[in-house]
Amino acid sequence: MFLSPVISTLEEHFPDAISEPELRSGDPWITVTRDRLADVLTFLKITPELRYNLLIDLTCIDFHPHPSRFSVYYYLHSMEHERKLMVRVRVPDDDPTLPSVITIYGTANWHEREVFDQFGISFRDHPDLRRILNPDHWTVHPLRRDFPLGGEEVAFTHNADAIAVQADTWTEPVREKTVQDYLGLTGEVKEGTIIINIGPQHPSTHGVLRVALQLEGETVLRAMPHVGYLHTGIEKTAENLTYQQAVTVTDRLDYVAPLSNNLGYALAVERLLNLEVPPRADYVRVILAELTRIASHLIWLGTHAFELGVQSMILYCFRERELILDIFEELSGVRMMTSFINVGGVRTDLTPQFGKRVREFLALFPEKLDSYEDMLTNNKIWLKRTKDIGALSQDTLIDLGVTGPALRSAGVAFDVRTAYPYCGYNNFTFAVPTGTTGDVYDKYRVRMEEMRQSLGIIRQAMDGLPEGPFRSDDRKVTLPPREEIETGMEQLIHHFLLVSRGFPVPEGEAYSLIESPRGALGFFVSSDGTPMPRRVRVRAPSFVNLQALEPMCRGGMIADVIAIIAGIDPLMGEVDR
Amino acid sequence: MQCWVLSMRVTSDEHESLKNHVILGKIEEAVHWAQKSSLWPFTFGLACCSIEMMSAGMPRYDIARYGSELFRASPRQADLMIVAGRLCMKMVPVLKLLYDQMPEPKWVISMGACATSGGVYNNYAVVQGVDKILPVDIYVPGCPPNPEALLYGILKLRDKISKGKERS
Repeated sequence: MFLSPVISTLEEHFPDAISEPELRSGDPWITVTRDRLADVLTFLKITPELRYNLLIDLTCIDFHPHPSRFSVYYYLHSMEHERKLMVRVRVPDDDPTLPSVITIYGTANWHEREVFDQFGISFRDHPDLRRILNPDHWTVHPLRRDFPLGGEEVAFTHNADAIAVQADTWTEPVREKTVQDYLGLTGEVKEGTIIINIGPQHPSTHGVLRVALQLEGETVLRAMPHVGYLHTGIEKTAENLTYQQAVTVTDRLDYVAPLSNNLGYALAVERLLNLEVPPRADYVRVILAELTRIASHLIWLGTHAFELGVQSMILYCFRERELILDIFEELSGVRMMTSFINVGGVRTDLTPQFGKRVREFLALFPEKLDSYEDMLTNNKIWLKRTKDIGALSQDTLIDLGVTGPALRSAGVAFDVRTAYPYCGYNNFTFAVPTGTTGDVYDKYRVRMEEMRQSLGIIRQAMDGLPEGPFRSDDRKVTLPPREEIETGMEQLIHHFLLVSRGFPVPEGEAYSLIESPRGALGFFVSSDGTPMPRRVRVRAPSFVNLQALEPMCRGGMIADVIAIIAGIDPLMGEVDR
Repeated sequence: MQCWVLSMRVTSDEHESLKNHVILGKIEEAVHWAQKSSLWPFTFGLACCSIEMMSAGMPRYDIARYGSELFRASPRQADLMIVAGRLCMKMVPVLKLLYDQMPEPKWVISMGACATSGGVYNNYAVVQGVDKILPVDIYVPGCPPNPEALLYGILKLRDKISKGKERS
């Protein structure tokens, strides 16, 4: 059976290694045997007619208690041919090992460490297989299905005594390792070099990022980022909530762009359900996602400029961001964590004032944006602090899996909105701004231009906003309308069941990829047929982009490290999840 | 602050001049007034709440009205720790170290549901409330709390300090 040219080519070259070829939402999926994995991936990367050069995601799903327990997924993308491919490897419970693919895709480094940390699969020939998110001294692998959620029970009269015992067992966590340990330098620090620790509590690291630096004078020899100080177990928590409830925890991943996360998650679940969303919901989603992008870039601009000494910029940026938060508050009653985009559409219809407020913002913001540019774009100090800093070549960036403005600033016009349109982005005209060198200044220019393009998209969406329902009319998923609940018993029961028990989702896996303000945001949702997901994997763009910090800082000055971190714009809530 | 004019054996001219220059009161009250009027928060932003904490310092909410606009990056220069966000297992030793480095007297505001009780994350990774580790003076509810809520929390803390209550 012919499914896709990729599968045919692979079956021709690796007849005994390829199995279970299928098409899922347009993407070919294949299963590869463990021993031929590296060969197949190398073949996929170097063959000219395939050229899958970007490893978008590497993750694992635990199918406990299935005998071949783990499945590890490699999600590939070809920049040249704009195609995706999912490669799956099954790993048995009794021998959880896999060959490392770092030599093929550099970005696999942190992904493999995360899979090791969370699932206990060890990767052969990985140069630095340590825990990444959980504390170093832990011995458990929390995302395994047989590992309990953890946490604490709430004390009531009937269990108060037991809880008191539980509280007594709270022990002080062991002390963190030293910076030398983190750099892997114990006992052999080079003569004349200094070790400096930045973070995890530092005003300019955009959260709780820790960077261990080795310096020679003021030149950075090595810069090792360490993450996990905000590891919240969001993926595990989502496994213990119903599909609709899990929307609320996605807000708190990338907390300056919560609506992007809602959107990515909702799209993945809708793909599993095969659910069509009405056009009005799509338009509202686009408007909100683009407003979020502007709000997120405003925080980036404010903090970035603040860290480089432009103190007034953060005041201006937050002033304008408040206007966007007012729009969100008008719509949902909450400033930040709206959870407004949910499975099946959006939570409520637009309020009467919404259009007016958005139009006011659209009229006001362009001139503000110009005034920011007046302050920075040709400012001598700004140019000195940002030009020719943190630049990497296109190939290195793609190898490290970098996406979003950080990749586009180097001249690669990869934007998920145009490459794999979702929510009807193909109906809008907008440009994908790119830079040339990829230094911090180019990243600044790209993000500024992106805000202008977002304004254009919002304007088009507001003009073309269709009338109609704001959520799907599939009653298996969406709640019955208010007036029906008030009059009908069945509808009341149905509403009760949907809220208390949730809706079952057909068994399977679905991947959704969207363009968040920081890059390609992926949600990989696996269902076992119950109302709670088996696994919710978040491909956090900040997590992947942060790997590029080490090569970007190497050989530069220590003062530029802060500028480079701001240029990558990582958000620790998303990095650590 | 209560004030009394000195009643000493002085001439009426001297009495008039002293009236304008000397204030008597309890030393604790003077100290509490000084402490509450310029609380310097420590920039300890952990997660989502830190963005709202920043908003509180920005033009619309203007925390400077209460003398607390000076967010210090060093624990040595701060006397108020606003724990803004979820406290995770890996962060616990860091938090404890930073708190110990703050000079006395010091106060702690637990901002948001996660810092107060773990919030929606009752799981393996999140500490179920910073009060397991630090003595908390004020809890601000919300997920995240509005900047107004944080300002209200700071006002409550000022009340607490001015009344000289023993810390919790």
